[in-house]
Amino acid sequence: MADGSYLKGFGVTFKKLFEDRVTGDYRGGKGLEKGKPDEKRPKADRLHGRHVLNRYEDGMEKCIGCELCAGVCPAKCIYVRGADNNPEAPTSPGERFGYVYEINYLRCIHCDLCVEACPTQAITESKLFEFSFTNRSDAIYTKNELLVGDDGKPQQLPWEDWRDGEDTMTSGWMRATSPAGDHRYEGVVHWAGELGYGLRDPETGQSAEANDDEGARPAASSVEHG
Amino acid sequence: MTAVENEKSTVTVTLNGVEIEANPGELLIDAAERHGTYIPRFCYHSRMKSVGMCRMCLVEVDSGRGPALQPSCMIPVGEGMTVDTESEATKKAQDGVLEFLLINHPLDCPVCDKGGECPLQDQTVAFGPGESRFVEEKRHYEKPIPISDTVYLDRERCILCDRCTRFADDVAGDTLIHFMDRGNSTQVNTFPDEPFASYFSGNTVQICPVGALTAKPYRFKARPWDLEETISTAWIDSVGSRVTIQSSRNQVLRLLGVDADSVNWGWLSDKERFGFEALNSEDRLTAPMVRVDGRLEATGWAPALAAATDALRDVDPARIGVIGGARLTNESQYAWTKLAKGVLGTDNVDAQLGDGLPVEAVLGLPRATINQACTPGRTVILVGPDPKEDLGALFLRLRHAVVNDGTTLIELTPTRTGLSTIAAHSLHPKPGEVDLLAAALVDAVSGDAHDAAGVPANAIAAAAASISGPVTVVLGRASVAESAAVTVDAAIALSQLEGVGFLSALRRGNVHGALDMGMAPGLLPGRVPLRAGCDAFDQVPTEVGMDTIAMLEAAASGDLDVLVLLGSDPLSDVPDADLAERGLAGAGTVIAVEMLPNASTLTHADLVLPAAAPTEVDGTFTNLEGRVSVAEQKVTPPGTARADWMIAAELALRLGADLGVESPESIRAEIAVVSPVHAKLTETALADGRVEGVLISGSSIEAPTASGSTTPANDAYSLRLVAARRMYDNGTMLQASASSAGLAASVKVTLNPTDFEKLGLDAGTVVKVISGRGELMAPLAADFGVPAGSAMIPTNAPGSNVNTLIDASASVTDVRVERA
Repeated sequence: MADGSYLKGFGVTFKKLFEDRVTGDYRGGKGLEKGKPDEKRPKADRLHGRHVLNRYEDGMEKCIGCELCAGVCPAKCIYVRGADNNPEAPTSPGERFGYVYEINYLRCIHCDLCVEACPTQAITESKLFEFSFTNRSDAIYTKNELLVGDDGKPQQLPWEDWRDGEDTMTSGWMRATSPAGDHRYEGVVHWAGELGYGLRDPETGQSAEANDDEGARPAASSVEHG
Repeated sequence: MTAVENEKSTVTVTLNGVEIEANPGELLIDAAERHGTYIPRFCYHSRMKSVGMCRMCLVEVDSGRGPALQPSCMIPVGEGMTVDTESEATKKAQDGVLEFLLINHPLDCPVCDKGGECPLQDQTVAFGPGESRFVEEKRHYEKPIPISDTVYLDRERCILCDRCTRFADDVAGDTLIHFMDRGNSTQVNTFPDEPFASYFSGNTVQICPVGALTAKPYRFKARPWDLEETISTAWIDSVGSRVTIQSSRNQVLRLLGVDADSVNWGWLSDKERFGFEALNSEDRLTAPMVRVDGRLEATGWAPALAAATDALRDVDPARIGVIGGARLTNESQYAWTKLAKGVLGTDNVDAQLGDGLPVEAVLGLPRATINQACTPGRTVILVGPDPKEDLGALFLRLRHAVVNDGTTLIELTPTRTGLSTIAAHSLHPKPGEVDLLAAALVDAVSGDAHDAAGVPANAIAAAAASISGPVTVVLGRASVAESAAVTVDAAIALSQLEGVGFLSALRRGNVHGALDMGMAPGLLPGRVPLRAGCDAFDQVPTEVGMDTIAMLEAAASGDLDVLVLLGSDPLSDVPDADLAERGLAGAGTVIAVEMLPNASTLTHADLVLPAAAPTEVDGTFTNLEGRVSVAEQKVTPPGTARADWMIAAELALRLGADLGVESPESIRAEIAVVSPVHAKLTETALADGRVEGVLISGSSIEAPTASGSTTPANDAYSLRLVAARRMYDNGTMLQASASSAGLAASVKVTLNPTDFEKLGLDAGTVVKVISGRGELMAPLAADFGVPAGSAMIPTNAPGSNVNTLIDASASVTDVRVERA
């Protein structure tokens, strides 16, 4: 402390007093009414925001109620229960579907381990974090709120502040990571088709190894797609 | 082998460079595991014969001719054997076997109930290659097909380990599932139109090393990491099978068998395994109820207890009766005995419903354990119900002993049983005459063979000649249509055999605990008679009280002011429906302490107090050997339901007495002091006997004395009734279990086909069965296992209850069968 380094810290604070606020143009939706600018800062592609539960192109839910997300969650904020699909009108492909799906946003730390654990890419995160609650039960999102709408986009709930473009590419983070962390599959493997978006191209250029180690990649034909 | 080696009691094997001592004849896989080296396996199961199907347990073994890969589940240890479970060759074999097993495995782990607790998953991670080279199409089958009412089969996931089929063939004896087809199409399946309708099908789900067999009650209910578990005791029957109770979010979801060497070996009957469903039933009583204008209406505990106290206060003790109590834990039974005998002063307490045996026959004869009965070279004489129907886990133990260990089984039963096919001698006396047959068998042992009870002398002589080693008599009521005195007389006759021990086959959950805790007329806690007294009780009744039948008779004639039904349903279970109805109607106030409403509660109870279930209380249960084992609370009771001992303590307090009980532990401590036989039941002993339990032995009850009753001859036109229990019946608990309720077969009258001609009837005909007491209508069925002259009707079957035909005061029941 004798070196006066704490003064340096005060210096940073003092300097910031005279800089423009980065949130200057954001007024939480109230600015527009008053004719003032009301804009959010651009967010990173892989920002971890509010979750969505995706659906396949045919509208079936991707969630199979396997509870891997709940099992891996370090904050224990996810509660899932599976149930038997009705063979006549299945909710998801296969035998099992997510009958209960709840996320408690008072506990969620947006670490995205659930997204990594999901074997069907059912749960991904949007870039929305501007949502607030006035009671505990509102903070628990159920399947009704988390499931994407018929256009494949997240439902815009009244207490959430969505702006144009924020509801697209909700699976951006997921798509930027190679399966099982194996860079050899980068640029090769598609993610399962999504309602509203179909089958997107595999992403490339995410890991340094992939660029160095081109020869190790298996031939595209030998890898199971989707 | 030299003489020196012959004397050695162990075999020395070098396991991964370390010398270990193994037992001669022990399998290598077991010896290695005992010494801390786990060899991966799928098909090997310590309670079944090895088959070497899966090849997962290949290890490099050198028995003097150089190292070679051998399946460690198929080779017994040999002196000087060198074993390497971590060599390159072993690793390569394990990699290869797992890659091969996974070729056709669908890897649908996320939707599979086994995912998270799957030996195939675990061992692939621990011993597997990590990647597969298989890129071709996998084999496909229709996804889960129900092979029984409780079990689903997914053939895609099956790795053909032969565990379930071996269990069905070798352990249960229900050869209903088999391998079919050949090569890549090999699959496990049932025969067409023949479901895997085994009472033990749930065990195949537990031992399946993949998710090929899954149980309907647990299907998609939870994942393994959701579950919390505790070791407890099954409460459905009196075997006291050790189980793991697994729950999630305060709901019991699954029971698994625990391998207790002295009890159930890890096996459970489906009734034990799936019976927990009843405890989750929506019909569970959640609040006290009181009858207002003929209808039961919910009320609070305070008014309910006040009403109960008002009914009990200042009543002549002889006019109070308590029926039931076999559902309760030992601690609750003690509390209720203390309330009834010590506070209220009545000896009219009976945990059995006229369908059991007198106390002397259970506690007054030398007792045997299951392990003693199943010791190789001994003889078991069955005088009682079909263990397959009544005591599933005991049936599996007996079956194993007879089939594999050379135990001789002699049946003295009125009809064929589930053990008949393996019994050395299956003698079927006329109903009500098993005492004569037992006496004849004893006579034959001493060289004087003669005809008895319709069984020819030569058959009795042959059975007597086959008796070897000490005898264990499995003793129970084969038919509730004959009086208990007949069974007792048979037991007295057989007790003359040398080295005889008796294994009680009373079926109700904790009925043996109830007897140990004094819930029978003339009995006090600790297997002592009334005259022995009890220091912990304020008073002890001086006169021996009434049993259930006598209580109901007294109630019917207006001599019972208060009748407490402690988890009992006299209308369905007392083998005299007419008497039960008159008794319940004639009793003053009927107080029921119940988990689920039953026929008697719904129609006759004036006051219903909701009780906690066995998974909702701490305590202990006593099994048919007298073995005490822990039952642990896993979930909370629904609504305001309470443990039975709390209800007894509350009632006592309101009656101005203090039972002095605060917790199950404090009650247990009092039992250990009060009871002359429970002194060794300490908390330390219970903790040490976490799996095996604590065997309580000794008794001050005198042996029964012969009744001297004789069975009247029946006339040529009538058939003698056998009313035997079936595993699935119309019982309240079973009917509240969603997946098992439908398994109860509707009522049938089974006759020997030779009787059909005599009666001019045919199988399938609906007949009217008439006794002196009543009549019922049911279709006829044919079975050569029912001797000619007998008619077999299951008890409490859906449709009509056979107890409408039975007169509890008669020694046998004769019926006429007529075209309806």
